Amino acid sequence: MKLSKISGVCLLGLLFGNACNTPPVPPEAARAQTLEQDLWRTGGSLFAPGEYEGFKSGLKAADERIRAEEAKFGWFRDYEAVRAELTRLVAQGEDLLRRIKDEKASRERTFSVSADSLAARIDSLIQITQYFNENEDIRKNVSQAQIKLAEARMLVAKENYDLAARIAGEGGVFLDRAEAASVKILDRYLDQGQLQKWRRWATEAVEESRQKSSVVFLVNKVERKLVVYKNGEIKARFDIGLGKYGLSDKLYSGDEATPEGRYKIVSKIPASKFYKALLIDYPNESDRQAFAEARKKGLVPARAGVGGDIEIHGGGKDSLTRGCVGLDNKNMDDVYEWARVGTTVTIVGAIAVENTILAEIRKFKDNA
Amino acid sequence: MKHLTKTVVLVLAIAVVLTGCKQPTQLINDVKAAIETVTTAGADKYAAEELKAINDDLTKALDEVAAQDKKFFKKFGPAKEMLAAVQTKVTELTAALPAKIEAAKNAAIQLQGEAQTALTETAELLKKAPKGKGTAKDLEALQADLTGAEALFTEIQTALDAKDYIGAADKAKTVKDRVAAIAEQVNAAIAKVKK
Repeated sequence: MKLSKISGVCLLGLLFGNACNTPPVPPEAARAQTLEQDLWRTGGSLFAPGEYEGFKSGLKAADERIRAEEAKFGWFRDYEAVRAELTRLVAQGEDLLRRIKDEKASRERTFSVSADSLAARIDSLIQITQYFNENEDIRKNVSQAQIKLAEARMLVAKENYDLAARIAGEGGVFLDRAEAASVKILDRYLDQGQLQKWRRWATEAVEESRQKSSVVFLVNKVERKLVVYKNGEIKARFDIGLGKYGLSDKLYSGDEATPEGRYKIVSKIPASKFYKALLIDYPNESDRQAFAEARKKGLVPARAGVGGDIEIHGGGKDSLTRGCVGLDNKNMDDVYEWARVGTTVTIVGAIAVENTILAEIRKFKDNA
Repeated sequence: MKHLTKTVVLVLAIAVVLTGCKQPTQLINDVKAAIETVTTAGADKYAAEELKAINDDLTKALDEVAAQDKKFFKKFGPAKEMLAAVQTKVTELTAALPAKIEAAKNAAIQLQGEAQTALTETAELLKKAPKGKGTAKDLEALQADLTGAEALFTEIQTALDAKDYIGAADKAKTVKDRVAAIAEQVNAAIAKVKK
């Protein structure tokens, strides 16, 4: 009897002792669960849907096996097989997580390259619009591109790469339009025939200055410079401003374009509305002829005349003239001093083929 | 009589056991349909975390159903409880979702209003800015910038109409920020004149 009691106690002890020694659920199970959450938050279903689903299936199978083991009596539980499976699953999940992060980093880099390219195009266009004033279309499109780029950057921060790429693409379309508008305005500046004509005028102006030992003003519209020549040599250079459509060749009254051609100063005005002014003889014979031809072709508004009152005046180079050449007052003082009635003023669009703006425009044209 | 009583008890017992052994198919279908409804209603956009938790719980409940289904003595009680808990969460989310969507909508509308105000104020600022020598060119360019921003303002309403409140808010914020940058430049141009 005593023996049976002792046996019973031993059996109970063994039973409870074993129960206490029941193998615990492998810690990899919790790690795998956390990984699943991490994978979901990292966008597993978006960036690697197949593998993410595979991971989830593996996790589910492991979970079932754990529960199957848990259903067994403590003595018979054996988590070794499922532990091995979980270890493999965790490694697979960690690898997947790393690859998704790499994929996202790669997509961020790709976006960054494209965003940098858009930003550079925006900067280039904005820089160009500092040089001329016919920029309404350009600036409007650039402004829209800037908004699209900001939106795309916001989407990338939210890891919405596909939509970000689409929005950045829309920004690119606005920039294409802006570049096309720039090309439209400056296309004739790339025309070799036009450039040769301007160069000939410039050369003749310098030659005249040399031969007659006289002062000649050479206005370069695209470079925004007024250069004073005396005896064929450069004596001074001044920054200038033009009208809203200053880079276009003046054709008629009110077009706000600055004429191109060879002119003379016909009057010096010491107290003008815009500080001091030098009136030139626009329109000359060539201008009248161009106006008549344009009118025949219907390129001139019905009531418009050929225009006049084109001056070199003060008031500021940053001003918007209506076709005149504007200078800062301090520089106007100097130009006014150099000038005489009869001084030649040659106004050209450009002389050098390679200058910043034209190089940019050529790039836009090549990109189109 | 005694024999009849025994038969009735036995039939009842079998009925109880068989009922207990049946998969809670209807409940599963109801929960799945409710999740589908709340997802379509926008939970995937406006309550993604909550929806994920619900889907995870559903998966666990379905796993439990599948595990019991393999057993000879099936016990679907815990699975039913799990499904009922999921159902409760879906009901709660369904109830809370309109408020979440409304909050997102209001936030987008608020930003749209702020963008509109910024546009109006900057347009006024541009109108009043002295267009004298030295600023006219800058102001013309800034006016074109503003026109560009204004052109994209309509996209906010398009997104709102499409009930894409997150997209609308993003668009409104970018327009508002752009207009703020333009206003800053207008003020700089004005300050240049005042110097």
